[in-house]
Amino acid sequence: MAQLSRYSMVPLRQAFLIAYVTGILWLRRNPVSLIFTAISPFSLLFVLIVISNGQYIDFAVAGSLVMALVGYGLALGQDISFYKTEYKIQDIFVASPVSPLTYMMGLALSELLFGLPALVVLASFVVVLGAGIAGIPLLIATILLIWGSMSAMGFFLSSHMLHMRNATQVISFVNVILAVLPPVFYAVERVPDVLKPLVYALPTTHASLMLQNLMGEPTPAEWSLGFGFAVQVAYLIGFVALAKTKALWREN
Amino acid sequence: MLAIDATSVTKLYKGSSRPALDNVSLQVESGKVFTLLGRNGAGKTTFVRMCATQLAPTSGTIKVLGYDIIRQPGEIRNLVSVVPQEGRPLRALTPWDHVYNWLQIRGESRQTAREKTESMLRKLELYDARDRPAMNLSGGMKQKVLVAMAMAADAQLLFLDEPTIGLDPVSRRQVWSAINEWKGKGQSVLLTTHYMDEAEMLSDYIVIIDKGKIIAQGTIQELRKVIPHNMRVDISADGTDLESLQPYGSVVDTGTGMLRVFTFESSARELSEFAIKRNLSFNVSPVTLDDVFVYLVGRPIDKGDLAE
Ligand SMILES: Nc1ncnc2c1ncn2[C@@H]1O[C@H](COP(=O)(O)OP(=O)(O)O)[C@@H](O)[C@H]1O
Ligand SMILES: [Mg+2]
Repeated sequence: MAQLSRYSMVPLRQAFLIAYVTGILWLRRNPVSLIFTAISPFSLLFVLIVISNGQYIDFAVAGSLVMALVGYGLALGQDISFYKTEYKIQDIFVASPVSPLTYMMGLALSELLFGLPALVVLASFVVVLGAGIAGIPLLIATILLIWGSMSAMGFFLSSHMLHMRNATQVISFVNVILAVLPPVFYAVERVPDVLKPLVYALPTTHASLMLQNLMGEPTPAEWSLGFGFAVQVAYLIGFVALAKTKALWREN
Repeated sequence: MLAIDATSVTKLYKGSSRPALDNVSLQVESGKVFTLLGRNGAGKTTFVRMCATQLAPTSGTIKVLGYDIIRQPGEIRNLVSVVPQEGRPLRALTPWDHVYNWLQIRGESRQTAREKTESMLRKLELYDARDRPAMNLSGGMKQKVLVAMAMAADAQLLFLDEPTIGLDPVSRRQVWSAINEWKGKGQSVLLTTHYMDEAEMLSDYIVIIDKGKIIAQGTIQELRKVIPHNMRVDISADGTDLESLQPYGSVVDTGTGMLRVFTFESSARELSEFAIKRNLSFNVSPVTLDDVFVYLVGRPIDKGDLAE
């Protein structure tokens, strides 16, 4: 029993320590860097609220939150490939008792830490704009789901970003596919019917819908909370499985 | 038990036509410092990374500490520790941050981690700089941070891939003495280097590799015997020539104004007299590992090495 709990706790302790080193220690020495990561998710929010005279605030908040989370996942991918090529940190971790998923978890947690100020502010908007205190658990679940699946995707993509030259292109491409084109910042109704199956296949559509729903925006008849959850959980499991088997840990 | 047991290992990188390692078999005894010596591109890092479960071989099998690198990487990963070639500490973190947290990540308690960190940082003379961010450390100090992380982990087998590259002489000696001390505890080291003095200083056993193939292996004494002679005499080429030296042994032109004669003690004495009579500068020394390397591989490990 003691053994069992010891073994199940080890990866968590490792992940928290990795997050502590790459997140908290780093921030303590570079507090200014937090300002940049904290501010960037608010630029689109600001523009959208101003040009819509505040009318569009629910979509702007939902969209910014989802886009920020996509960004953290992609930044994780970039960090991982940077740590691998520039510092050879991954070589040290591979030849150690740390598993690839623990490594990913640790770095993803540190990414979350950098995003925390922005996430807290955006999440508070969601609460104030209609979710209320009662909506907080669902809100957190949504945030964690999309963070988890985007992080796993980032880890998976990191092995394809090894040549730093095209890393930024991969990142902006994925960002467009996941956060710009689908109805993340706008209502699903605007999507032509033929394209609907496509947008419903993306986890970010559902994340945004869940947030819109929490804020009391009407959601389409064909969509339900359960559907949204199911798709996101499926993506989480899928990306974690992909990260576990296909991300580059031992090279070929 | 063998620390490493490699059988017919070949590595062909994707998109490459020539194998980086070509049918290499070798056994590494535990409790020893085992050195792969070779020029840049010889295949040293490739071999180390396969043993350290960071890279898969194209064919062949490798057992590390009795475990197969492909089927049982988890067991191996619990028992080894590495200093990767061209690794770098994280810029904003200090030597203390690196070693202390790494030990905890590897499963040590805080208390043990603290003790081991302190003693390792002292040993490598990083203790006074323990709170300085890595970006403010010299190249040698940075490299020592990685060595400290790897050594403090108390693994059964330590992989050191060119650990003293770019280090100043004092730091090199600190790393060397840490390696010697480590060996004293019965653990094993797989070291790669292209520094002859480092190989001579540390190795219990040396494998010379070139172009992905093993050229020779043995203890330093055994490798010295590869050259039939045991002395070398360098004589100024200015005033004598190859032919007149030939009777004393085998002669090479070092291309630096000196002729080098590989020979035996008795002839070395005669050669000295020969040089004194003609008032030529000369220099007598035992055959070194450098000589063996040139003899076997056909060129010096680093361009210009013969000219020292
Ligand atoms: N990732 C890689 N892809 C293709 N070729 C590689 C790769 N890594 C090393 N090589 C090649 O394999 C050979 C051996 O390299 P390496 O093992 O790094 O040698 P060493 O460590 O002895 O300098 C070299 O010719 C090198 O160019
Ligand atoms: Mg190398």
